[in-house]
Amino acid sequence: MKTMTIAKAINEGLRATLANDAKSFLMGEDIGSLGGVYRVTEGLKAEFGAHRVMDTPLAESGIIGTAIGMALRGHRPICEIQFDGFVFPGFNQITTQLAKIHTRSDGQLSAPVVIRIPYGGGIGSIEHHSESPEALFAHTAGLRIITPSNANDAYWMIQQAVSCKDPVIVFEPKRRYWLKGEVDTENNPGDPFTAHVVREGSDATIVAYGPLVPVALAAANAAADDGHSVEVIDLRSISPIDFDTVEASVNKTGRLIVAHEAPTFGGIGGEIASRISERCFYSLEAPAIRVGGFHMPYPVARVEEHYLPDIDRMLEALDRAFAY
Amino acid sequence: MSTSNIFKLPDVGEGLVEAEIVAWQVKAGDIVAVNDVLVEIETAKSIVELPSPYAGVVAELLVADGDTVEVGTPIIRIGGSAAAPEESASPATPADVPAEAPAMKPLVGSGPKADAVRRRPRAGSPAAVEAAPAAPAAPAPANRVLAKPPVRKAAKDLGINLADVAPTGLRGEVTKKDLLSHRDQQAAGPAAAGDFWAHAPGPAVAEDPRIERIKVKGVRKATAKAMVDSAFSAPHVSIFVDVDASRTMEFVKRLKVSRDFEGIKVSPLLILAKAVIWAAARNPSVNATWTGDEIIIKHFMNLGIAAATPRGLMVPNIKDAQELSLKELAIALNALATTARAGKTQPADMAGGSLTVTNIGALGIDTGTPIINPGEVAIVAFGTIKQKPWVVEGEVVPRWVTTLGGSFDHRVVDGDLSARFMADVAAIMEEPALLLD
Amino acid sequence: MGAAQQSATGIGSENGTRVGPAGASAGVLQPHTVGERDMVQLLDAAGNRRHEDTFGPYVDELDAKTLRGFYRDMAVVRRFDAEATALQRQGELALWVPVVGQEAAQIGSGRAMRPADYAFPTYREHGVALTRGLDLADLLKLFRGISNGGWDPRENNFHLYTLVLAAQTLHAVGYAMGIQRDAAADSASEPAAVVAYFGDGASSEGDVHESMVFAASFNAPVVFFCQNNNWAISVPFEVQSKVPLVNRAGGYGFPGIRVDGNDVLAVYAVTQWALDHARSGKGPVLIEASTYRVGAHTTADDPTKYRASAEEEAWRAKDPLQRLETYLRAEGLADDDFFAQVKNDGDELASHVRRATLALGGASIRQKFATVYAEAHPLVAEELAWFENYEAGFAAADTQTSQGGAA
Repeated sequence: MKTMTIAKAINEGLRATLANDAKSFLMGEDIGSLGGVYRVTEGLKAEFGAHRVMDTPLAESGIIGTAIGMALRGHRPICEIQFDGFVFPGFNQITTQLAKIHTRSDGQLSAPVVIRIPYGGGIGSIEHHSESPEALFAHTAGLRIITPSNANDAYWMIQQAVSCKDPVIVFEPKRRYWLKGEVDTENNPGDPFTAHVVREGSDATIVAYGPLVPVALAAANAAADDGHSVEVIDLRSISPIDFDTVEASVNKTGRLIVAHEAPTFGGIGGEIASRISERCFYSLEAPAIRVGGFHMPYPVARVEEHYLPDIDRMLEALDRAFAY
Repeated sequence: MSTSNIFKLPDVGEGLVEAEIVAWQVKAGDIVAVNDVLVEIETAKSIVELPSPYAGVVAELLVADGDTVEVGTPIIRIGGSAAAPEESASPATPADVPAEAPAMKPLVGSGPKADAVRRRPRAGSPAAVEAAPAAPAAPAPANRVLAKPPVRKAAKDLGINLADVAPTGLRGEVTKKDLLSHRDQQAAGPAAAGDFWAHAPGPAVAEDPRIERIKVKGVRKATAKAMVDSAFSAPHVSIFVDVDASRTMEFVKRLKVSRDFEGIKVSPLLILAKAVIWAAARNPSVNATWTGDEIIIKHFMNLGIAAATPRGLMVPNIKDAQELSLKELAIALNALATTARAGKTQPADMAGGSLTVTNIGALGIDTGTPIINPGEVAIVAFGTIKQKPWVVEGEVVPRWVTTLGGSFDHRVVDGDLSARFMADVAAIMEEPALLLD
Repeated sequence: MGAAQQSATGIGSENGTRVGPAGASAGVLQPHTVGERDMVQLLDAAGNRRHEDTFGPYVDELDAKTLRGFYRDMAVVRRFDAEATALQRQGELALWVPVVGQEAAQIGSGRAMRPADYAFPTYREHGVALTRGLDLADLLKLFRGISNGGWDPRENNFHLYTLVLAAQTLHAVGYAMGIQRDAAADSASEPAAVVAYFGDGASSEGDVHESMVFAASFNAPVVFFCQNNNWAISVPFEVQSKVPLVNRAGGYGFPGIRVDGNDVLAVYAVTQWALDHARSGKGPVLIEASTYRVGAHTTADDPTKYRASAEEEAWRAKDPLQRLETYLRAEGLADDDFFAQVKNDGDELASHVRRATLALGGASIRQKFATVYAEAHPLVAEELAWFENYEAGFAAADTQTSQGGAA
């Protein structure tokens, strides 16, 4: 067991990937000599060479499109999109090409491209650097989307993404890059496309992912003071969603809160709430309640604290759930 | 080979629905080869020549120059003939032009298709539909009652614990019907009243079929004994006081919406319980036991709450109620009631009580002469609180009024003490803020 | 590089648009543009051979059989194209994308490729498909609405048709970068290059620019082959660019060649040159083949609405097949028997395609469930199970209606 930050864990996971899979390589802007704007790829170019850690021209569509070509040739590119807000020039290649190649070729061609994207807010940054666009991609069949919330998952999930035959987008919670955690480099935590119960409880379930998992845990602890026992689930995989774990939990607790930084309207929370309402109807003590950002472009740093779901917003949702 | 082929007007332009026949290039009797131009048509987008899909002799033109024709309409019939095929522009042997394409008929247009307006006929058994609309959810854990949200709300409104209700729903849930029939059984009187006079239920008894016998046993037997012991050993004196409990009602209302009390049931009984505890502290003799040799005064309050349970009347008590905050007392009252309704009250819960409250108001009764719980010397009857005319500063106004009743063991509590005790209880009901001292 | 860019008439002709200030100050781009009249040509519209130093040699060494082969390929693909168009008019295809007029650009470039090379087409490269050895009937599945692909690209090194314009140019560059990686890992691997096809319309898309940036930065072994057929549906080339597209190559720093796209010999020659350049590690090349989309954009289009028939007539006079036939006959390299045989070959292919198309089964929605992901996926499995159950609830209908999706 080693203690390391999420950024370091991803770095180690990439190191292990490059060492184990000769066809794998990294490509992105500023990932080589600079080691990435968050230093996630630090030291990898020195260790593996420019051939395996490639600085690309500043062109997101170009990065994704050429990665597809390289994957078609049998290689395993791991792309980095520098910030969530800059994935959009590559959106066409991701949705019309990467997601569809397997279907278009009647199952004969695969493009196992991994795309790493730092996402989320809470870092006091300027425009376009705090987005949570995961719902746009989740709504696109053919892609898989995962997001680690802790160092151990960060270490393992990137490696599992690379060995998956389907295209995988890995959303990395950038405000948690410095969050430390224990990493077990010997035992992999299992299927990356499953959810984990990270806190058991009996009165309500909070489902969260990525940057909000620590917040959900804090909210659950605070709720304990009020005499409520709250279960917290780290969703880990946004597409596919491990509904079985969520359903089992809500059948037990009768109340569901889903939280994400992305706006509530049109977000993943709606999919989960809707599904749970259908599947757990007879167990529900209260309607499923979503906690998310407001329907507005991500606001300026000075007011982002009012936008982001925090412990109070989650407790407010819990209060409402318990009022029924 | 001699079978004829029909060529239907295709959609030549990605979603067109009709075309006009401009000029036929062939007539009946002409020999055509595959791909020979048959006709010129005009669509919304352009003028197009249609080549023949078949070889053979033109049997019949089915539409005329100038006609506007919908996509899919047969426009020409071409009979296969022995001579024609070999002359064709493409060597289309008869085998090339199957009378009916085995796997796929010619497309008649790729554009929008008309919506189906009739339901597809279903397979025989409707059970197929029920089978698994969405793979049935795993059965709920044993301790969770299943019920649809509207049923849960109805249960809450009716004050019925869903766990008490026998579920008959398909998925093991309590249905609305279950809930209502449970309620009806609880209030069996009114429902059965209509039939009551006709005959008695149960096995017919020899002397008169209108006579019903119920064996006395269990709780009822024990309760009866206790009541007799109490009623005929302790000289009961009952006194009553009317009180304007409007401020209590208001206070309860505010507690209900306070964040602190979210999820906790609050009723006027909570205030009364607090009042009784407060008043007992000021009039200790009411919180006592008469042994004949001694009067044992308790410096703690194990507050009994008379509760109707499925097994009969029971009086579980809240131990050390004097230690509890308002919120804790509320939680304790709720727990006591829930447990009692579920029939799960334990003997230990009922032992050691020091003073009892009986909430007859829940049954709609104004007041009454309660019987003291054996081992105690006082019992308070809490009746309904309802709007009644009251005089406030010389004016008659509607206020929330209740009659508090108390019965006391005259051996221990004389008139003076009992009156002061009741007045103190009433004072709190009138002004709960006095509790703040 | 200068010689390669020059046409027989020399560079910087007065037709070239002047793009900068007069004079030759340092830092000021000089207007070395390749003009509209500049192009490599070895066989003119009348069928006369033209001499050219750089590219001529590639053709001079070809034997008669190969030359006849060029004609045959062009004629056969034209016949195929006519049959596919007829099938659409008969309701057998939802749509067809005609290649007529562009045969030389495609046969010439396709025949210059080696088996190990890889082609990324747009959606009109039926001629290239022929040279890659595809069964042309496979091209129709897409237009019949039963597949979005239709063949296994790995069998003939010919990628699936890509309908999002220009998207494939990036895939082509990436593939070429993958070839580089393979060569770096194993120096004994056969040198190979990629041909990225795109049109004048697509050249305006950002992806074409980005693909050229990447190709130049990484020196990728890719030949960008632009068929400038002068029309992007109804929008004429002048709206896409004021200067011939070949001039863009200079902006990226790699060679560009403008060739007469209706001259199969010249196309073959310049593509050979470009592929040698790429395969030998010298990096990308842009070829602009000047040709004409004689037919409509697709069978749903009507060119009479936006262009003059006079223009079409002028281009028909520059027909690629006609000039080669004239040359072959004049040189005694082909006779009536040959042309009759070619016609037969064409009719046979057409017949085969017609038969194969009519025999195509329907598509299967179940197959679509199975091919969303390469690995097992719980939601897809669940939805499939739901669908099976849902369908089972209906009375057994006549399941012969193909495209509805039963089977």
